[in-house]
Amino acid sequence: MTDKKGILVVAEPKDGKLANVTLESITQARTLAGAGGPVSVVVIDAATAPLVAAAGRYGADRVYVVESPEAAVFRPGPFIDAAVAAVQAADPAMVLCSGSPDGRDVASGCAARLGAGLLVDITGLEFRDGGFVATHPCFGGNIIVEKQATTSTAVATVRPNVFAREEAVREPEVVPLTVGFGASGLAAKVIEVVSENAGVISLEEASVIVAGGRGVGSAEDFALIQALASELGAAVAATRAVVDAGWMHHQSQVGQTGKTVSPKLYIAAGVSGAIQHRAGMQTSDCIVAINKDPEAPIFSFADFGIVGDLFVVLPALTEEIRRRKAAS
Amino acid sequence: MNIAVCVKQVIDTEAPAKLDPTSWRLDRSVTSILNPYDEFAVEEALRIKEAQGGEVTVVCMGPETATDAVRKALAMGADKAVLVTDPTLAGSDAQATAYVLSEALKGLQWDLVLFGVRSTDGETGCVPAAVAELLGAPLLSALAKVEVQGSTLTVNRETELGYVRYECPTPAVLSVIKGINEPRYPSMMGIMGAKKKPLDTKDAAALSLDQGKVGLSSAKARVLSARSPEPRKAGTTLEDDGKGAQHIADFLATEKLI
Repeated sequence: MTDKKGILVVAEPKDGKLANVTLESITQARTLAGAGGPVSVVVIDAATAPLVAAAGRYGADRVYVVESPEAAVFRPGPFIDAAVAAVQAADPAMVLCSGSPDGRDVASGCAARLGAGLLVDITGLEFRDGGFVATHPCFGGNIIVEKQATTSTAVATVRPNVFAREEAVREPEVVPLTVGFGASGLAAKVIEVVSENAGVISLEEASVIVAGGRGVGSAEDFALIQALASELGAAVAATRAVVDAGWMHHQSQVGQTGKTVSPKLYIAAGVSGAIQHRAGMQTSDCIVAINKDPEAPIFSFADFGIVGDLFVVLPALTEEIRRRKAAS
Repeated sequence: MNIAVCVKQVIDTEAPAKLDPTSWRLDRSVTSILNPYDEFAVEEALRIKEAQGGEVTVVCMGPETATDAVRKALAMGADKAVLVTDPTLAGSDAQATAYVLSEALKGLQWDLVLFGVRSTDGETGCVPAAVAELLGAPLLSALAKVEVQGSTLTVNRETELGYVRYECPTPAVLSVIKGINEPRYPSMMGIMGAKKKPLDTKDAAALSLDQGKVGLSSAKARVLSARSPEPRKAGTTLEDDGKGAQHIADFLATEKLI
């Protein structure tokens, strides 16, 4: 159906490395490389050498390099310009961007400029009957659709934490690109980068999440959630009620007006499991619930539940996991 | 400063979403509301206007019933509205929506276009970037703070580690996140007044829209199939017998999660 071949992954740089979702996208592209064609990656940053190396380690056949001080910190304009230049050089059938806010800006801007079909928040990608078919859970995961672009090149955003991440070492061909950045994009200038939560685990990329709901009762008592999370190397999430009460920052909200997450393990304490929260976490691989109300809806879709007092169970669980880790 | 706020009417977040089995379009016959994220955009526009002067115009594409969402934004305090509605626009995806909104915006006077970060039903979060691209204006998305001084915007965009502060001249396209402000409730006066505010309804012909770029038939991505996922089944639920934590740890160990 198209002469265009292969997949171009638009890498998301993160502190001098490639974001996990980029590595996952390269891995998925590699598994489709037989029928789907070559795997290209474009890296965009002020210093690209470690990104090029990581792209090769995960299986890129070719790496396009856009190295510029203008790209030291994410700005939609220059990143869209660079991604479009790479699409024009690689001529791929599929362009994979990250499902982060940055990746959505890049994907949408690219698709608009190229007149390409846009597939958002994909959780599956196949090569079928000569074309790429993407899976996308919509409406909080209540409906799963299969979509295909009608254009010869499609642009997609990939949900983090869905595809596996495996090294497949290659010696990629490295192709430097010179990109003239557009004036309107350059008009947005970075004046300050503030790091205040160093070491925080990203909710979207976390493989384990510990969430607290209204049942936690106060901002101070979220320390119980934090303690279990740090023992498990997990990210901390909250329900809308918790965020609206001001106990937790809105960045930690999971659900319909918050983030959508798909971790391997989601531990929910004092979370009732209302439809709006469920929409943001029901694609988790495994859900464990702790709630004192045996009628809480969360028990109807949790894989394992304890009807009990979270103020007793959480500290005991944190201690139990610490003990087992020490013993192993 | 004149501000255009783009809003969408969405199905109520309490309502379960259903798709029409032939067109794969969303069943919008259920209760509809103003997209919750757009309330933050409307509020931010009103605050800028209250500090700087100027006019706030609501811009919406949707069915005629979307008037309710538009009126809510007017009741909050926006000055006037444009509703683009036409049967040929039904089924428009994010890209077609961005095209229609950008054509509507080209006919208005604005220094700033504000969006909510995404809609709670389509959830793409991709319309602002496409509109910025089509208008040739700089984009800054997912903002937690917007400050305006003359024709200079200073904004904070949250990252996992903290935030990045950007400076940008107007005209620009911005999207804002939950937490940027506390949206006001429309007052009774506001609700009454909203009925008298100018609401300009435009059809596709009035905007000279290219019919090849709108509606279901021109979508650049098609749905091949849609299904409900296997419903999640309830697993084991135990009363805490004093060993609840151990039971969870045992379960996690069996599942190789610890």
